[in-house]
Amino acid sequence: MTSHAEHPDLASLYPFLYSGEDDVDGVLAEARQSTIDKTREIIDLRRQVRRQDGARLAACGAAMAERFASGGRLFAFGNGGSSTDAQDLATTFMDPPQGTAPMPAFALTADIAVITALSNDVGFDVVFSRQLAAFARPHDIAVGLSTSGNSANLLSAFDEASRRGMLTVGISGHTGGKMAELDSIDYLFVVPSPSVHRIQEAQTTVYHVLAELAADGLPGGHPFDAGGAATPEART
Amino acid sequence: MNPETRDQRFFDERVDAAFERRVAPLEALVAEADSVARACHAMAERFHRGGKLIVFGNGGGSTDAQHVSVEFVHPVIVGKRALPAISLTADVATMTGVAQRVGFGQIFAHQLSYLATADDIALGLSGDGRCENVLRGLEKARELGLLTVGLVGGDGGAIARSQAVDHVLNAASGDPRVVKEVHVTTYHILWELVHVFFEHPGVLTPEVVS
Repeated sequence: MTSHAEHPDLASLYPFLYSGEDDVDGVLAEARQSTIDKTREIIDLRRQVRRQDGARLAACGAAMAERFASGGRLFAFGNGGSSTDAQDLATTFMDPPQGTAPMPAFALTADIAVITALSNDVGFDVVFSRQLAAFARPHDIAVGLSTSGNSANLLSAFDEASRRGMLTVGISGHTGGKMAELDSIDYLFVVPSPSVHRIQEAQTTVYHVLAELAADGLPGGHPFDAGGAATPEART
Repeated sequence: MNPETRDQRFFDERVDAAFERRVAPLEALVAEADSVARACHAMAERFHRGGKLIVFGNGGGSTDAQHVSVEFVHPVIVGKRALPAISLTADVATMTGVAQRVGFGQIFAHQLSYLATADDIALGLSGDGRCENVLRGLEKARELGLLTVGLVGGDGGAIARSQAVDHVLNAASGDPRVVKEVHVTTYHILWELVHVFFEHPGVLTPEVVS
């Protein structure tokens, strides 16, 4: 890692330039320590997720591969930061790392015209369920992400997806929220942390691992080559 | 189970391997804590001056750009102030328009030319450091006087080597999925530490810099 900071040592060279009683070195030290603490936290949290959910992740990945092999498609949905995860999940299947076959996937947050039309005309709670009602076929897969597990539009989407015979995968956090009370979710993964940020980070791993299993578990799929930490072929 | 798909042992082994692959790149981030802290300090100074954050990337990186903007504009932690941030990838009309008319390499530089002011921060994400449009965006940003931050992966590519980038934070993995995960942790920390610096306004207000 390199740093071409504009004024890397300004504070130390000219401490008198900085007004107030705060000491730059002290705050930088606090920031460094915080970076180390948060990073260790997510390493530990992933370890916990692997212990708690490793076997079910494998089973879910296998079930997803089976759906794709039968012609199924994946629909992903979430709100806020989780909407960006839904879009990442979709593009992970549509435009996967080299050597992996693309699979049909779509994020239900991608079309702002549909989202605002449904919200304005009916209500925000139906933005995902109404789309699933229009798109879903029995071999399809629904993946919903929420850090709290309480988003009303996800809860109704899972019910709709389940009614239509989709494989339903829920990725939640903390204690699972209302998603943990649904019987319409086939595989629920709950990231046990009080921090929304750490939850999101571990959730990203959960769906990346599922995507890897689902794509590589297909006939003709082959394991990702983990060799070489910095292959020039690595994609953007 | 569809007989065409793999047996369960294949999936069990893959889960273990996938989780293992994620540890070392985070240990590398621990070792870069000082670079992260300095990038946050510089970003906090820009916000303090009234600057906004402009974020851009391709593919999965475009979803990160939007995640970063919502992180700053609508913080998940109650009581933290909203800070101005926009994702260039949110405007698909302009992106595809400029791509079609001028070329995909120019999209972010074009948007920055019209949306950026000198106090702003440009944050470009590129999983392998080789995205031409991200590099050109950061170069344009530097030309306009912005603070430039690059989140890259792999060996860092041309973006890590560019003199136009003030702060380069590298995710040390060749797996684009792992790179993205390290980036998510990195920008969550960037957000959090910007607010830590805000709690110490004395470190954000150099009286004279000439």
